[in-house]
Amino acid sequence: MERREVSFRIYRYNPQVDRTPFYDNFRIAVEKGITILRALNHIKEHLEPRLTFRAFCQAGICGSCAVRINGVSKLACTTQVWDELGGDGEHTILIEPLNNLEVVRDLVVDINPIMDKLKENYSWVKPAIPQEKMGRKEHIVSDGEFEAINAASDCILCGSCYSECSMMEVNRSYISPPVLVKAFRMNNDSRDTLACERLERVSSDHGLWDCAHCHKCMEHCTKNIPIMDGIHRLREEAFERGMTDSEGARHAQAFFDDIRDVGRLREVTLPLRTKGMIGSLGMVPLAVKMGLKGRTPPLWVRPIPDIDRVSEIYSRLEASREDAAEASNPSHGRTPLSPPYPVGGK
Amino acid sequence: MEHKFDIVIVGAGGGGLFAALEAVRTNPRVSVAVISKVYPTRSHTSAAQGGVNAALGNKDRDDTVDLHVFDTVKGSDYLADQDAVEYLCGQAPSVVRELENLGAPFSRFADGTIAQRPFGGTVKDRCCYCADKTGHTLLHTLFEQCLRRGVTFFNEYFLLSLEHADGDCQGVVTLNMATSAIEAFVAPVVILATGGHAKMYWNRSSNAAGNTGDGQAAALRAGIPLKDMEFIQFHPTGLRKSGLLVTEGARGEGGYLLNRHGERFMVRYAPQKMELGPRDLVARSMETEIIEGNGFESDAGSYIELDLRHLGAEAIKKKLPQIRELSMHFEGVDPIAEPIPVRPTAHYSMGGIDAHMAKTAVRGVFAVGECACVSVHGANRLGGNSLLDILVFGKRAGQEAAEEAPRRKALGIPPGAVAGMADEIRSYANPERYERYGILREEMGKAMGDNVGIYRVEGRLRKGVEEILALRERFRRIRLFDTGTVYNTNLIQILELKNMLDLASCVALTALARQESRGSHFREDFPRRDDQAWHLHSLCTMERDGDIRLGHKPVTMGKYSLETRSY
Amino acid sequence: MRYAYFLSCINESMTREVDQSLNLWKKDLDLELVNLENGTCCGGSNLDYVSPDHFIIVNGRNIALAEKMGLDLVTSCSTCLLTLRRAKHLLDTSPEKRELVNAHLADEGLRYEGTSDVKHLLWVINEDYGLERLAGKVTTPLWGVRFAPFYGCHILRPSSLLGRDNPAAPSSLDRLVEAVGGSLVEYGSRNKCCGFHTLLVAEKQSLAMTGNALEDALRAGADYIVTPCPLCHTALDAYQDRALSGRAVAGNIPVLHLSQMIGLALGYSKEELGIDRHMVAA
Repeated sequence: MERREVSFRIYRYNPQVDRTPFYDNFRIAVEKGITILRALNHIKEHLEPRLTFRAFCQAGICGSCAVRINGVSKLACTTQVWDELGGDGEHTILIEPLNNLEVVRDLVVDINPIMDKLKENYSWVKPAIPQEKMGRKEHIVSDGEFEAINAASDCILCGSCYSECSMMEVNRSYISPPVLVKAFRMNNDSRDTLACERLERVSSDHGLWDCAHCHKCMEHCTKNIPIMDGIHRLREEAFERGMTDSEGARHAQAFFDDIRDVGRLREVTLPLRTKGMIGSLGMVPLAVKMGLKGRTPPLWVRPIPDIDRVSEIYSRLEASREDAAEASNPSHGRTPLSPPYPVGGK
Repeated sequence: MEHKFDIVIVGAGGGGLFAALEAVRTNPRVSVAVISKVYPTRSHTSAAQGGVNAALGNKDRDDTVDLHVFDTVKGSDYLADQDAVEYLCGQAPSVVRELENLGAPFSRFADGTIAQRPFGGTVKDRCCYCADKTGHTLLHTLFEQCLRRGVTFFNEYFLLSLEHADGDCQGVVTLNMATSAIEAFVAPVVILATGGHAKMYWNRSSNAAGNTGDGQAAALRAGIPLKDMEFIQFHPTGLRKSGLLVTEGARGEGGYLLNRHGERFMVRYAPQKMELGPRDLVARSMETEIIEGNGFESDAGSYIELDLRHLGAEAIKKKLPQIRELSMHFEGVDPIAEPIPVRPTAHYSMGGIDAHMAKTAVRGVFAVGECACVSVHGANRLGGNSLLDILVFGKRAGQEAAEEAPRRKALGIPPGAVAGMADEIRSYANPERYERYGILREEMGKAMGDNVGIYRVEGRLRKGVEEILALRERFRRIRLFDTGTVYNTNLIQILELKNMLDLASCVALTALARQESRGSHFREDFPRRDDQAWHLHSLCTMERDGDIRLGHKPVTMGKYSLETRSY
Repeated sequence: MRYAYFLSCINESMTREVDQSLNLWKKDLDLELVNLENGTCCGGSNLDYVSPDHFIIVNGRNIALAEKMGLDLVTSCSTCLLTLRRAKHLLDTSPEKRELVNAHLADEGLRYEGTSDVKHLLWVINEDYGLERLAGKVTTPLWGVRFAPFYGCHILRPSSLLGRDNPAAPSSLDRLVEAVGGSLVEYGSRNKCCGFHTLLVAEKQSLAMTGNALEDALRAGADYIVTPCPLCHTALDAYQDRALSGRAVAGNIPVLHLSQMIGLALGYSKEELGIDRHMVAA
């Protein structure tokens, strides 16, 4: 069995004794096939009993052992040491606590903010069936509907996406990716009766529309959940439900309108349409400076040559949408949601 | 610091969470606290992959509760208490439908009903599942509903002791892991739902690192007997290197077990059920193949192959995605292309806190799930019955607790209990102590694995008892090297080891005492079931000096009388 | 080498220097770009919220226009890249969606078949043209100039749709910098978010992201940031003063588009490349 000397450079901080965090180096011989968690256990048992980290199932299903390995949030128990070695004989692996959460000690972070946000955002099914009738009958749920939420229900709340999220890094009040995934999962469950309230809640300040589309959550999800797709679907749902009174929704609407009218984005009025008259005032000084550099978007955008063709597409879609609306029962408050593209699948 | 609640639930797996949910639903005026050493969604319930049994009849229309009872009693090798089994199976359909009603995302048949698949040791296909993450989704569903109902959680609190005054519950003493403060929870009703203790086999176990039987050990020290501790289920298909589990669902979906001659050897052990025989039988058959030299050889030990390739890539990806992931992460094997190397691994503890329909000998103290021995699993648990156990008895305990709590008087916890714990913890840091946690724990795992494993015989069992008792002695000199108070995991390790050693002595002693083979307990020197002498539950109680005393208790029979168990 | 070239809205308005630079030097590399005059805005990862059908039809149409020319589609904007590739992925994996799109394109004599790839200019230079070949064309090597390569998000993530670089340790832009003689600084923000997409809805937080990246590059001692995306450029350049205000780091850092960096190496002047139009002087 192949063995190598590997250095683990580990973030250490015990608020009781350390003024500031520091890094400790542990050099150990590691066999191929060993996970980062087994290496951490080895260090704790043989070199430094004070080294502090969480671990429980050791099988990638409980989410306890998420840490940053070489800068990326991962589960220590499913990450092979060999996969983290540099290609150039660089045998140092950096282990740090998750980002965007307070460090309790060493690699342990306080995950209560995640729990609090789940609670604030109705991260549960509110069943249609009253308590006294529970357990009598199963709902009939199509396999397709199960598949739509199957991937999202894989979330183990490990906190990796929370740690990777760009918006979290600058705003700890941001709703965060795992909470949005839960909202997506609940809102696409036909057994739930709280979709409107939940969507309203998650769309409020520091919510759904603040996601910066950086896709880090999805890229680094330890269970391969396409988190961004879920966020996309929630934003689509906001439009389906007519919840368009937000800067984010108005911003999106502007793209829709401009493609119909000229085929291109009319950037000069985009701030006005997104933020309104008052909200845009703050942008005037920058606009003036940019104007001086010749960077102002044109006041008038020349339509693309075949704009009529595009407008026709819009008209046809509008007509079929009206037909569909007429055909469906108007008393049925909720538009059935069918994912526009498969959400999930690994 | 002291907390006061009407009901305190220790453990936040499926059993604890359902108990909490049911308690607040039954009586919204009772105050309920859930104490857990891990955040609820990290509990070991999440690792249950395969499913939950219920005679819904969605697959086999002619399935009945009675057939489920029969399968369970037979599977238990007639050691289960049949009143409890009848309750378990009778409640199964409604409790599964209730979870469905609450949002659990079950896999579905084409007609939209909950899908069911075959599982080991059953005559009908009645295992309901969500892909191969059933426990995970049930746990999250229950956690979500607890959040919805505003249940109070004390996360990362470690149970130190259960307190009672002459058989009346006073509450529990805990360690706040973040601060190392000892905090008492005064409560007239306590529900223990702390999970199993099969981690005492350490790296020969599929269990989470924390499955150390904390509730069982606290109950034992509080004078509550433990029952049937010799019965440890070895799951047939642990991954060769890590012991991690490959769900029975893999065999339920049609996987083959092959020896190195490419033979489906189960034909010689269970010609009818083949790979879907009960777990104890399949595990023993595999072990026999390995002992007789029919296993595959490797650096990481001999193994058997679990072959899924004939199921096809689509089915594997859709129905067994986690298994595929585990095999790739931990064995470097993609089951679509190669068979998975497996061998038996300690998996489940049938024994636990002696409880009748979840009630223990101490008034106000309930025990549910794997920490309890109700007993619905007897000498061997059927796959798909453990999730059912935590749901049915978690719910029942929650309901009864909510009814009972207002009637019971809150008795304070004497200050001496807290002070005593503080002294004990301080003593671990005494610089004259020198025994190391890692060494004692390795030796414990080896002692149990080598001597109290699948095949048992008097000589080795005696050796196992001696070794475990010697380790308990050495534990008195264990040294806590981390003397900080912030999130001291070194301290938790020591406290867990103490619990495991106490319970390991119970397992080894009862295994030595039971001179017959029944279910998961197989004695080479007594290879037959002996109903005359041993159709009895074993009991362990702890004496004042820490010695374990053995006793017995009759089995509650019912509709089904003793029969030979063959598959 | 001939490609259909996607006209990104921002390059038609605020960052005209991107295409201005590219049009200067493309002939030097025998790179022929046919502008997709009839293409529309990709929707900037916003259109699908309003209507997934519009999103898929509009972008199916954009790609079909390139298919009609028999050319792969190239863009200089990372968000256009991701949006178009997402549409392509959906169309290539769903016959129903292809049917929907083609029903709407028939009138215009267009049809989506999936024959054209969608690429970023950076990929075209690195993979199709080749960095050695490019190095051979360099007339004014950027020796001694320290670059902080800023990849941003939509050329890296999700890797399932993009798949060129490892998002945790991207290197394609680094290799391009080296090919034109520049040197690299090590800094952590290379694969982070510039904040552009939320500038109008969460300005304070977005500027904090922008500021973090800028401060990081400044502290690393870079002379320039270079980026493959005009949206990143706008956040890092136009908003630089505001993003850095109140931070304990002195000075400013000019931001180049990759088309400008290549232009410099091929001997064009800052004025020709529109670098004088940037908000932060270079």
